Amino acid sequence: MAARSLRAHLLRMLLPPIAAALALGAVISYFPTIEPATQAYDQALVDIGLALGSHVRVTQTEYRFELPPAVEQVLRTDRFDRIYYRVMSPAGLEIAGDPGLPSPPSEAVAHNTVYDGNKVRVVSVLAPCGRSTCTVLVAETMVKRERLARDLLLQSILPELLIAAATLLIVWFGVKRGLRPLARLSEEIKARSAGDLRPIDAAGAPEETRPLVGALNGLLDEVSAASRKQQRFLADAAHQLRTPLAGLQAHAELALAQPLPEPSRAQVERVHQATIRTGRLANQLLALARAEPGVRISLAPLDLKSLVEGEADAWVHQALARDIDFGFELEAAQIQGDAFLLREALANLVHNALEYSQRGARVTVRTGRRERAAFIEVEDDGPGIAPAERGRVLERFYRVPGTSGTGSGLGLAIVREIASSHGASIAITDSASGGCRVAITFPHG
Amino acid sequence: MRLLIVEDDAPLASGLQRILEAEGHAVDVTPRGEEAVLAASQEKFDLVILDIGLPQMDGFEVLRRLRAGGPGRGPMPVLVLTARDAVDDRVRGLDLGADDYMVKPFAMPELTARVRALLRRSQSHGGPRIAHGPLQLDTVARRAFLKGEPLELAAREWAVLEVLLARVEKIVSKEAIIQAVAGWGDDLSPNAIEVYVSRLRSKLEPAGIRIRTVRGFGYMLEEYK
Repeated sequence: MAARSLRAHLLRMLLPPIAAALALGAVISYFPTIEPATQAYDQALVDIGLALGSHVRVTQTEYRFELPPAVEQVLRTDRFDRIYYRVMSPAGLEIAGDPGLPSPPSEAVAHNTVYDGNKVRVVSVLAPCGRSTCTVLVAETMVKRERLARDLLLQSILPELLIAAATLLIVWFGVKRGLRPLARLSEEIKARSAGDLRPIDAAGAPEETRPLVGALNGLLDEVSAASRKQQRFLADAAHQLRTPLAGLQAHAELALAQPLPEPSRAQVERVHQATIRTGRLANQLLALARAEPGVRISLAPLDLKSLVEGEADAWVHQALARDIDFGFELEAAQIQGDAFLLREALANLVHNALEYSQRGARVTVRTGRRERAAFIEVEDDGPGIAPAERGRVLERFYRVPGTSGTGSGLGLAIVREIASSHGASIAITDSASGGCRVAITFPHG
Repeated sequence: MRLLIVEDDAPLASGLQRILEAEGHAVDVTPRGEEAVLAASQEKFDLVILDIGLPQMDGFEVLRRLRAGGPGRGPMPVLVLTARDAVDDRVRGLDLGADDYMVKPFAMPELTARVRALLRRSQSHGGPRIAHGPLQLDTVARRAFLKGEPLELAAREWAVLEVLLARVEKIVSKEAIIQAVAGWGDDLSPNAIEVYVSRLRSKLEPAGIRIRTVRGFGYMLEEYK
């Protein structure tokens, strides 16, 4: 179904009754005015008839019509119309004038007919002829009558047309104006981020839109409940995985601590590595569930420097195990953030830096403020990420083709989601040594 | 050392038990919080490894009872294990009274390192002697010995070494060292700390005791191997 415009619909509904009212109004105001005008014109013809009648002379043998040419010219003169006349004896015989001018039906005084190819108005006047009466027919073409009728019609219809136009304009703009609260509502909804599932404030909405706002809020409520439920499920699932994974890892490490013949050692080693990866994946799923759009995160004031210091010990030990020079450049940087999520984002950045660095490489974690904006960044001197790949590595499960290592492709996607849930931006650039630098920059304030 | 593991996941509990037994400890295991509280009230353990997600009486409650009851038994360090990061911050806040915590899953070397650190801390707690490989400190007499030979340490070198010895295998920030040493007099600059550490290195490294620099952060006294 095509989108229906409320305005067009309203106009479609209004047009026929307006047109009908217009026609009716025209009829109602036209006839009362045309009638007296027609009568006045008829009367003028009657007057001519009477004047003509006075020129009929009755003799013993005949009726004579004597009209000086000058008088006839005066009588026949009209600005708009041609005037015809016909004088007939009481017996109906032709006396003078334009022969064949049709007489009106017996009882009518005036009527319309056609003469000489023109529409004409004919009046019939009785003139005294001795003891009897002659008939004088006077006719004129309809030019001024039609012009009068047209003028009258226009005069009566023009104001009505204006009123109708005004009505349509009022509908057109009135609907727009009347719908402005709806437009505001849609602006408010459009301006929201995808994750903002707070109910819409119904207090400012006009009475008529309350049901709509109510229905929208109901929907938002359901979506946000479903999102919470999904988040809880994902979190529970990830948590449930952790204990058996810890057991698996314990036994794999126990086995590796004993003398094992090849290829058993290599196999147990693979089990061990897979276990560690699965543990990381569980953490990443947890972080994704938490940072999922639609889930409101709990922001609290925290210092990025303290956050890094709290995690530094574990990172340094991981780096030592890989013979990587892991260092810090930390300045205080207060932000509003979710400590768990930011720790996970950092864990992913540091994991990547360690994963893609060679022995003897340098990895540096920095915090501080640049142009008043708090930032945290991790820099390595590994192979870096080609500019063309920088957008794509932020997508879930994307891995740069030909990459070694055992990543899930989730790490940077998680970092991006955590950053965006904080209103922070993420930027991948080259480090001074040609490696990769990933910075999260937080909004001011 | 006598250790108690409270963990209801049997494979994990048995894995932990075998690893810690291999480290030379006597290890008891129970899957139930109630039994742990009972056992701890009757016997002295040097360390309790406590899972938070136990059936019925959970780890928080066990910890509360361990901390509330049994006066006169001395400190009993508790290492908390958790699968839920939601409790992570509560544990971090230490309002629980746990001495350390680990989020599952974890690497066994990390667990054994933490266990050693906790045991070392509780053993040396208030004790007059600190040992680290061939190094021995008599904190009462303020005398140090390396391989049995007396070792000359300036007052501030001693103070820095004490801070590092309290946190073996943990990175310690320069600020933390300055704070600990500040009681010894005037203001100290980070550069001054570098000088003391460098002097300590020249005295201790020949004996195989290594102080590692953590760039932009501070130092770490490595475990003696």
